[in-house]
Amino acid sequence: MPKLTIDDLEIEVPPGTKVIDAAEQLGIMIPRFCYLKELGPAGACRMCAVKFLQGPFKGVQMSCMVDAQDGMVVSTNDPEAVAFRKQVIEWLMLNHPHDCPVCDEGGQCLLQDETVSGGHGLRRYLGRKRTYRDQYLGPFIAHEMNRCIHCYRCSRFYQEYAGYRDLGPLQIADRVYFGRFKDGPLESPFSGNLVDICPTGVYTDKTARFRVRHWDLERAPSLCIHCSLGCHTVANARYREVVRIEGRSSGKVNAGFLCDRGRFGFGYAAHPERPRNAKIAAQNVPMSAAVREAGRRLLEIRESSGAEAIAVLGSGRSCLETLGMVQHLSRVGKWTAPDFFENPQMERKVKAIVSQLDARLAVSLRDVEKADCILAIGVDPVNEAPMLALAMRQAFRKDAKVVVVDPRPIFLPMRFEHLAVSSARIETLLQVLLQVLRQTDLAAPPAPLPQPIQLSEGLLSEVAFDSSVQAQFHALVETLVGSRNPVILCGSGVVGESVSSLAADCAEVLQNAKGKGGIFYVLPSANAFGAALLASSPEHSFLDTVEGIENGTIQALVVVESDPLRHFPDGPRLQAALTKLQFLLVLDYLPSETVRRADIFLPTCTLFEVGGSFINQQGRLQAAEKVHAVGTPIHQATDEAMRSARGEEGGGKHPPRMYDLGIPGGEPKAAWEVLDALMEALVPVAEGTWREDPWEVLKQEIPLLASWNGRGYPADGLHVVPEKRPGAAVALPLETEAHTSPSEASLQLLLVDWTFGTEELSQYAAVMRQVEGEPFLCMHPQDAERCGLAHGDALEVRLEEGSIRASLKVRENMACGVMVLPRHGRIQWQELRNLSGRVPFECIQKISTDTQVIEDLR
Amino acid sequence: MNRVELQAMAETERNRQKAFQCRFLCCVGTPCLSAGGGVVQEALKQAIAVQGLDATVEVVGAGCMGPCSRGPLVRVLPAGGEEAIYEHMTPEKAGALVEAFAGPGCSSFPEESRISSDSPFFGKQVKIVLSGSGRVDPDRLESCVAEGAYTALAHALREMTPEEVCQEVVRSGLRGRGGAGYPTGVKWNLMRKAQGERKIVVANGDEGDPGAYMDRTLMESDPHRVLEGMALAAYAVGADQGYVYVRGEYPLAAQRIQRAIQAAERQGLLGNRILESRFNFRVDVRMGAGAFVCGEETALMASIMGRRGQPVPRPPYPAQRGLWGLPTLINNVETFGNIAPIIQHGGEWYAGYGTEKSRGTKVFALAGKVSWTGLIEVPLGITLREIVFDIGGGIPGGRSFKAAQTGGPSGGCIPAAHLDTPMDYESLQELGSIMGSGGLIVMDDRSCMPDVAKFFMEFCMDESCGKCAPCRGGTVQMVRLLQRITDGGAAPEDLEQLKELCLLLKETSLCGLGQTAPNPVLSTLRHFREEYDAHIREGRCPAGVCDLSGNSME
Ligand SMILES: Cc1cc2nc3c(=O)[nH]c(=O)nc-3n(C[C@H](O)[C@H](O)[C@H](O)COP(=O)(O)O)c2cc1C
Ligand code: SF4
Repeated sequence: MPKLTIDDLEIEVPPGTKVIDAAEQLGIMIPRFCYLKELGPAGACRMCAVKFLQGPFKGVQMSCMVDAQDGMVVSTNDPEAVAFRKQVIEWLMLNHPHDCPVCDEGGQCLLQDETVSGGHGLRRYLGRKRTYRDQYLGPFIAHEMNRCIHCYRCSRFYQEYAGYRDLGPLQIADRVYFGRFKDGPLESPFSGNLVDICPTGVYTDKTARFRVRHWDLERAPSLCIHCSLGCHTVANARYREVVRIEGRSSGKVNAGFLCDRGRFGFGYAAHPERPRNAKIAAQNVPMSAAVREAGRRLLEIRESSGAEAIAVLGSGRSCLETLGMVQHLSRVGKWTAPDFFENPQMERKVKAIVSQLDARLAVSLRDVEKADCILAIGVDPVNEAPMLALAMRQAFRKDAKVVVVDPRPIFLPMRFEHLAVSSARIETLLQVLLQVLRQTDLAAPPAPLPQPIQLSEGLLSEVAFDSSVQAQFHALVETLVGSRNPVILCGSGVVGESVSSLAADCAEVLQNAKGKGGIFYVLPSANAFGAALLASSPEHSFLDTVEGIENGTIQALVVVESDPLRHFPDGPRLQAALTKLQFLLVLDYLPSETVRRADIFLPTCTLFEVGGSFINQQGRLQAAEKVHAVGTPIHQATDEAMRSARGEEGGGKHPPRMYDLGIPGGEPKAAWEVLDALMEALVPVAEGTWREDPWEVLKQEIPLLASWNGRGYPADGLHVVPEKRPGAAVALPLETEAHTSPSEASLQLLLVDWTFGTEELSQYAAVMRQVEGEPFLCMHPQDAERCGLAHGDALEVRLEEGSIRASLKVRENMACGVMVLPRHGRIQWQELRNLSGRVPFECIQKISTDTQVIEDLR
Repeated sequence: MNRVELQAMAETERNRQKAFQCRFLCCVGTPCLSAGGGVVQEALKQAIAVQGLDATVEVVGAGCMGPCSRGPLVRVLPAGGEEAIYEHMTPEKAGALVEAFAGPGCSSFPEESRISSDSPFFGKQVKIVLSGSGRVDPDRLESCVAEGAYTALAHALREMTPEEVCQEVVRSGLRGRGGAGYPTGVKWNLMRKAQGERKIVVANGDEGDPGAYMDRTLMESDPHRVLEGMALAAYAVGADQGYVYVRGEYPLAAQRIQRAIQAAERQGLLGNRILESRFNFRVDVRMGAGAFVCGEETALMASIMGRRGQPVPRPPYPAQRGLWGLPTLINNVETFGNIAPIIQHGGEWYAGYGTEKSRGTKVFALAGKVSWTGLIEVPLGITLREIVFDIGGGIPGGRSFKAAQTGGPSGGCIPAAHLDTPMDYESLQELGSIMGSGGLIVMDDRSCMPDVAKFFMEFCMDESCGKCAPCRGGTVQMVRLLQRITDGGAAPEDLEQLKELCLLLKETSLCGLGQTAPNPVLSTLRHFREEYDAHIREGRCPAGVCDLSGNSME
């Protein structure tokens, strides 16, 4: 390893380390603008100039461009280098508008810092400043090109790192402009990163604009819970409200970047209608009174119908502490076994996935970046786990081959091979793949490889894959066989239940042969993994609970941070069932439909107000810290005071005059704390096994955590998976007739996620309204033709008791025989019932496109 | 086509040409065409038709003949008679020419507008690269083959190994004509040894320097010369794909190259199994969009790949990781123009021209205040005096020589005191200039040197790609300072700042554009410091060019 001397300090670094990074390891922060470790050197800003005194390079050189080599002696504060850097700053400031007082970047601006540290203070240049016109870039990002210092970070991130093309450098010389050909929202769902990486205020967070100064922020490391990846974030709050989320680099998950859903989706936490008061029969009451009353009602039901008549439902959006407490409470109270999934089918899939993972096979998001071959099965990264797409792109940039097997019209910001086959056929395909991989000597594969069709003894043709899919499949097998570090990605949304184990088996076979690679699952929610660990009873699901309610055996339902009316596949049935309940107790922080129906409601805190632990899809237990105190954000409280000043209620004037002992809106507590209080009301302390610390509870409830010492996490979280998975799975019989013949006059309905507009939490963020677009559904051109429909038609899909309206997108790059419908927040897809079922052609109707209907659609 | 068929084609064409009693070659290069060459050619054809001489007289297009500012030019090749070039041709003069021929015959060709071949303009020139220019019809493969095109390739494919081709180029001492003068043979050898699935050869025809048009002329006048050179290079380094990168402002050159490629491919001189050997080489044309920086090799590659033409740091060099990650050989168009003669006559023959370290000949675009401007090819080591006063015919209007600018915006000026300096890479560098790609602008005593420096600085400012701070911001600052000097608003400190900026740009810019942008300023400061002082301290422009009223800046 090369050993070099920087400013008289010696350091040894791995080969290939840039001098700028070596210095950073020594704690010497060489000024820089264009250099970002993730993006690599560009050599554009010339700010990181240092003087090389000895070694293969001599004189003033850019430290970001030079690899550390043995025997180098480098001075960062040599007068020549210092003078040069000062001059560079002068150049960069020639045209800068000096508008720091009105710039949101102020206080965290690299340009401010380097201007001061570089010592440039006197403007010697008398010319006119060059100015630009700014562009509208959509609701997330504000654009102020006059502040630009041309470091090229934005375009390099946007185009090279993320793979989108609609923003980049235009013009040359002193007129270089970073923007789009014309105004319009940025196409990339990773655009928010521009805010983080721009060293000055060209790109600022529009949603946080002019709301806060950096030095006034309350900041804490947090996690993104808008999908199952669990990206690391920094949450920034002011006046009891999160105003901005930034990326945070982690060794195993995200490299410091975030997707726009994760960055801008936090608005649920300060939703104007967020219920912050406990309620009995929709009337505000003090929390303690509500808890007492809830306890009394539950005791009453226990007396009358037995403890079994009480059921509890949690969800994967709660932190692990809360889920553990739900489990505990239910067990101690001897209630019906708790459920943690609103959707029984999803529960089975997630449990299957969790049982596949072991320490050897489960790769992290950062490992995906290093793969040389990626096979994605039933997963739509951009829409289901956006940062996964970015990780795949990094692998792609290092020449990895990417193959996607999915019925949906998949888009990825990279070149990839797409086998658009229906969900049922994915299973068949995987079975054949597994068989082929098992039969092939992966260590010394024969060349040329026999056609899989021969290897699988004609099975492929038997299940009638057309020849193009067969050719693609053969290419896939070749790629996998020839790879060194193959990673299989597997989703949980559109695939059947056995796919996860087949995928894991394939990954295992490959890993055994190659010693590298593994499997990467995508789960439906931030803590689905934790929920699956707790949901121990394999037979029980929420469907049983619904049946129990229907037949009267269950009389009370406790819903903890869950919205079954949103997720349960049969909306009308659940609605009917809920009316039969004697008692519905809901704990939550969202203004959901379920909350509105509660007999008693107890407000809980968001992640930002109490922190919490989540297990991501890889089985990585990670923690978010508390960011700010619970309470109504001050500007909302002020608005309330203003309202009352107008005479709606007693009160004051601006400034707020609400004299109270507590913080306005400060009643909510962490859900596990509320449950704890409830437990006290239910179980006499002497009798219970209650302990104060939720972690003690968790250690009791989750065997994998038993040996762990409680609080405190390693920086990369704790990987809570078994050493070795229970063993290779089941040899399933090959299903040959899972597909439908093209003559069948129906389509399989696939309800899917979309980057914006379908995820539960971010749907409550107002800014998402502006990017989610209109509801739509997708069909293959063949299917559209058979239904007599065309791209852009307004459709109505009418099934049993419900119907939805959406416009049609005809997509070539999807499977025939399926209809893809994103769960848009503005359509009542829950009412379609019978979700995994099929939609007959006659139920799909074109509706007239007169203005009234279009209005309706809006 | 094989070697024998190639020879047969040449023979047939030569015989065809011999059958004519007289041949009129009309220059179809851009300068002559824009001066009305097309009309002249038409007039010649018509006159011949009217006189009924179609069988005995031929009118064809040909490439550049040299004295471009005197166009339209027509070369007259009478069978057995003395050849001559006619300048400033008009349809009327064309008619007179044909009449003279139809009447008393070629002995009576008019004296008016006639440039005799012993004119001093041609005297000191040695045509190697341009040997075919002005003689072959660029749009007819046969015409080029008759002059020997592709014989060197045929020879190499049959008789030489790739190593031997490289060695021959090493022996010739040829250095890159694109500006930097890197030894071509060395580059080829590195490239030959580079590992890669495939390799690519690129001819750099971007030629963005103001005033330079050597590459354009070669591509327009003798495209097969360039293609043959590329094919030889490809054979030597093991490439199978080539690109000619042509500047966007050169539609005619691109068209000629394109046609030449098609013609050569049809005859099996390019494409697969060239000359029935195992060697394959496809060539495609890529057009730039008119940015000077796209001549820089890394920016050029980005542009070929459809990206923004912006340099990236080297290493990796193109020979290690070039187009689409493949090893890529980039040479200047003129460099490729030298290859066929070198292979044909041997490296030693070539090395016989020029000086010890600068072998061979170089094409210059002679412009500015000389009587004869145009395209010249001279052996390296010739003195500037010979170029200006012998070939160029001296300074017109009785003015005196002040300086000559070589290397365009990346070069510098050579003052009168150094008129006897030999023109070679090292001597020019010692004087603070560079050989560059071959632009040579002569200035007389009415040129103001700070103003000249400002012109080149403005060019660099406008053409900076905008990637790195020194070049993007520094050039603006320098232009402003020079503006102040030529406006009369400058203070002595400004000169200090100017010099400081020069050094900073040189040392710290990312690519050659920024690194060499200060050269014109540095060189004028070195040789004409007193002019700067006159502007700044005395408020006087010695050449009487600048308006020093002092209202500098907006
Ligand atoms: C700003 C800049 C512009 C250049 N323009 C040209 C050009 O127009 N034509 C050219 O052949 N080389 C140009 N070069 C040089 C090329 O980068 C490269 O060195 C050359 O094409 C190599 O060919 P050679 O070895 O045959 O000279 C330029 C270099 C720089 C830095
Ligand atoms: S020196 Fe000029 S042209 Fe070269 S990279 Fe820098 S800005 Fe671009």
